[in-house]
Amino acid sequence: MRILRQARYEPARVVGGYTDRILRVDLGRQEIAIQELPPDFKDKYVGGRGYALKLIWDGTTRQTRYDTADNILVMASGPLGNEPGFPGTGKFIVGTISPLTDTFVDSNVGGHFGPLLKLAGFDAVAVSGVSREDVVILVDGDAGSVSIAAAPHYDGEADEGSLSFGEKLLKDAGGGEYSDSLAAVTVGKGARNTRFGIVNSLFYDRRRNRIRCKQAGRGGTGTVMRFKGLRGIVVRSSLSKANGNNAVDREAVRQAGARLKEVISDCDHKQLNLGAWGTTGLSEYMDKFHLFPINNYQYGQSPESSRLFAKVFLEGYFSKKMPDGCYYGCNLACAKGAEGVELTRGPRAGRKVNVDGPEYETVGSVSCMGIFDPHFVLEYNWYCDEYGLDTISTGVTAAFFMECFQRGFLTAEDVGYELTFGNIEAADRLVHEMASGEGFGRVAGQGVARGKKWVAQKYAARHGTSEQAVMAELNKFGMEVKGLEFSLYVTKESLAQQGGYGFALKGPQHDEAWLIFIDQVHKELPTFEHKANALKWFPLIRTWFNATGLCKLPWIDVRNPEAAGTSEPAKNIPTLEYYVKYLNGTTGSKKKLEDVLDDSERLYILQKLINLRQGKGTRASDQIPLRAMGPAYLNEYESRAEYYDKWLQEQPGGDKLPASPEQRHRLLMEKRMQAYQQLCDIVYEKKGFTSDAIPRRETVRTFGLMDDQAKRLLDEFGV
Amino acid sequence: MGHALKMTVSIEFLGMQRAITKTNKIDMAITRRTRVIDALEHVRREYPDLHLDERTVLITVNQEMAALDTLLNANDTVSFLPSIGGG
Repeated sequence: MRILRQARYEPARVVGGYTDRILRVDLGRQEIAIQELPPDFKDKYVGGRGYALKLIWDGTTRQTRYDTADNILVMASGPLGNEPGFPGTGKFIVGTISPLTDTFVDSNVGGHFGPLLKLAGFDAVAVSGVSREDVVILVDGDAGSVSIAAAPHYDGEADEGSLSFGEKLLKDAGGGEYSDSLAAVTVGKGARNTRFGIVNSLFYDRRRNRIRCKQAGRGGTGTVMRFKGLRGIVVRSSLSKANGNNAVDREAVRQAGARLKEVISDCDHKQLNLGAWGTTGLSEYMDKFHLFPINNYQYGQSPESSRLFAKVFLEGYFSKKMPDGCYYGCNLACAKGAEGVELTRGPRAGRKVNVDGPEYETVGSVSCMGIFDPHFVLEYNWYCDEYGLDTISTGVTAAFFMECFQRGFLTAEDVGYELTFGNIEAADRLVHEMASGEGFGRVAGQGVARGKKWVAQKYAARHGTSEQAVMAELNKFGMEVKGLEFSLYVTKESLAQQGGYGFALKGPQHDEAWLIFIDQVHKELPTFEHKANALKWFPLIRTWFNATGLCKLPWIDVRNPEAAGTSEPAKNIPTLEYYVKYLNGTTGSKKKLEDVLDDSERLYILQKLINLRQGKGTRASDQIPLRAMGPAYLNEYESRAEYYDKWLQEQPGGDKLPASPEQRHRLLMEKRMQAYQQLCDIVYEKKGFTSDAIPRRETVRTFGLMDDQAKRLLDEFGV
Repeated sequence: MGHALKMTVSIEFLGMQRAITKTNKIDMAITRRTRVIDALEHVRREYPDLHLDERTVLITVNQEMAALDTLLNANDTVSFLPSIGGG
């Protein structure tokens, strides 16, 4: 590789989960620097999320957009991100100003990159500037060097792809062989041509003897990386991964890890069976309770859904009886994969490929387009990974345009073909067009929020109506909040989850709050007060996992039997106590769960301040589409009229139902809209915000965040 | 002389449970005193490999949450679901 700039360094040793160093790379100036952090930095801004938030808060302005040179792309693990003795470590986050939301987004991803970066001596890598030519960054902890190199050219496919480029890059860096001392992150052409490009995290899996990948999928972090001219980052360290965090109290960590491994080993196969089925097991349960998105979330259940249940993927595709952890030592091992899948469509038709996944979200993205073909799910999964596209935003955006077509807002002339629900050929074509930035893909690649404006202009011009009127209609079913597309759960019947999506600071992704089951099925949140408490507590603990380098599935999707004896079993507190012990054993702290929640709340408030600065922080930005609250159109109401009528009858004053279905539908939606606004009021109060969702001064002060920028910002908003 | 109608409930199996039981549902005869716990014991006897743990399953009757001592009525559908917390 042609080295453009190189710097030597002495790798810092990890102590208690941290190195107190950030690798700073300015691609515009081709500068490489090491930022030494004061010891108390990590206490205030915990791990991956904390580092990224603080760098973005200090280093960007309200004018910063995804494609301005001052935008910073941060990749950071946390203090708990490298311990094979504890299940579910190895995670890191990619954080930046998003091309979809224009505010901070972070996406949590597995693989070996985060742990190896830490072993190479860095808590985080932060990339700013825009390179004049395509480059890669090489972080070599063994050699003690950081290099900016011209991106190598391999062949036409690899030069455009993310997986194929990463495979060749890793082999190149390994001197012709794969090695588990190496890991990479890469982007593909989909990141160049859409706003929802992903960052793939690639690593060598000895058991499968191939490169595998996980994705930082949400919010367009790959688009930022690609815009910077950064095709990939390779990191190398041959240091032992055992006790990778260099824990202060190794025995305490060992004990906590052993307890959690025991719970997983005893319980997972009796519960969701993630170890065998991965997250595809969710499809069936979601369908059962009308939560599985069909035809752009119009419906939550379909007679055809069973074609996408876990059994189909297990028997037809997944390599069986093979532990599939995305990092060493995880005995939940839910990262499923399939070898030798033959592509039947697209430019690589006829080729056999290895697929990592599918995850539930990818399955739901395909059902959202009204497609129930499992083989298409595998193909869609692989192409999105190879192009570097978020399967969620790709599918939800395609589904939005399909509904525009269904309702007459789009025509075949606009698209170039019949973009109808269930039309595999059209969906497939659109994916390739998005990745290439060709045809209608140029429009679709901008996502739902910008797609709505395009459709409104087009339709208004054609029909001589106002754009505003068209937008009002599109806002009913354009499934985005703050510019980010919804993840794949139908929220119509769970007010708590409507809030879970609406209040989520990055936009409607479920990693802040997934309350559907405890609200809609368990009925554990009967009042607004219950829902508001859950909407404060769950986001704090769930995002703490992202801050510390952990996967949350071993906690949230494997119920510890001891939780049955607690006041709120859904919080699975007995398992959370293992995590607190793991934290204290690693860092030497003496924290309790309440302290962990405070640490997380500081980051939450900081992210809220960034949102406010970027124009996405007030009540208006938390509003959700009508479809997220209930049946937006009569056809949806009629598909479950009996259920909805019963719901209406159970409401205060519901003994007299209006006569016509149209009137009942209207009344239903009025009540749903009122309920959401009431929820906003209560949740904001609970979180220490004003009724316009702005943090109160005492809230900001409590967490030590009242710097000059925060003061000016709150002054502007009159708080 | 008419025969008394036999009262039954359905116990349905989803996901991993179906893979083990090889069936979508079974019927169970009940009396006016049969409770959810009796259905759970019935499934345990019929399918010991399921390892149903009352501390971790979510019990629903006709898709509504129920407790172990909930009385069953004819034609009810009982499910023992895993806890799902969302990824």
